Amino acid sequence: MQNAKDTFYEVLRGRLAALNPDRTIVLRGVTRPGVLVEENELITDVAEPDCFRMRWTKTATDANGALPMVIQQCEISYETAGTATNAGMDRGRMLAAMDGELLAVLKEAPQNAVKVNYAGLAFGHAAVSMQTNVWWSGVNFGPETMKNDRVMRTATIEVMSFQEAGER
Amino acid sequence: MASKEGVERIAETALRTLGGWTAMLRMPAPASAGSSAEELGLATPQFQDFPLGPATFRKAESTAKLLVAASAVKKIIGAGSGLDGQFDSADVLFEEAAGVVVDGVVYEITDSVALSAEGGEYCWCLSLKAPVR
Repeated sequence: MQNAKDTFYEVLRGRLAALNPDRTIVLRGVTRPGVLVEENELITDVAEPDCFRMRWTKTATDANGALPMVIQQCEISYETAGTATNAGMDRGRMLAAMDGELLAVLKEAPQNAVKVNYAGLAFGHAAVSMQTNVWWSGVNFGPETMKNDRVMRTATIEVMSFQEAGER
Repeated sequence: MASKEGVERIAETALRTLGGWTAMLRMPAPASAGSSAEELGLATPQFQDFPLGPATFRKAESTAKLLVAASAVKKIIGAGSGLDGQFDSADVLFEEAAGVVVDGVVYEITDSVALSAEGGEYCWCLSLKAPVR
């Protein structure tokens, strides 16, 4: 299951960086594409604006096939206060731009990727491609909500994969 | 009339009298550029602890608010602390911190407020969240 989560993040990050290289965040002194997985970062109450924050929620399995299929729900939250030079009056437009970017990267063909095992990176080894794919559903956009001076939205998406033999 | 420095010294003395222990501010090392291992949670950053004292809890029966002498915060922000002037504001310092270590327990910092008098900060009040036990 972890491999599917990692693969989906890497795909999203790569596609976002290609689509809009200016969508970046600075985390612990390093500039990187504007997407992060909350459970992989330091615990904080500070919500970074103008970036996509991924949170894994529900998990379900379907054991009817030759390999168990795993369905994992991913919530992608994002918020913006607009730009300071426009006194934040463009925050709606900025949120719409982020809606468009998210839709573009997730609808971009192919809507699947080869599942990759990244565990070796912890020991200085290369990531290893696996035998099956990861694929995902369409995006379900939640309502636009207000958060102090920011507008925010949470989109949900289901990520599917087969649990390969021996995979943990 | 008390000067900025005078108020700072009074606060420091009061904090020493009321508790006077030293907490540690835990700062993560800068991330490795382009490291997928860190972004995927496979590698954790190194941490460095900086002394934050004198400090004391605002109420003896609660660990929700920690009072820290402004002089201790200034020492961390200033040159020669090991952070080499990376932070030009205490608010950013506390936002970037991984937490405060008190008696071996790491508390998350949820908010920081400067208490000031005579045009200068004499104390910082940190709102803390204890780990789930």
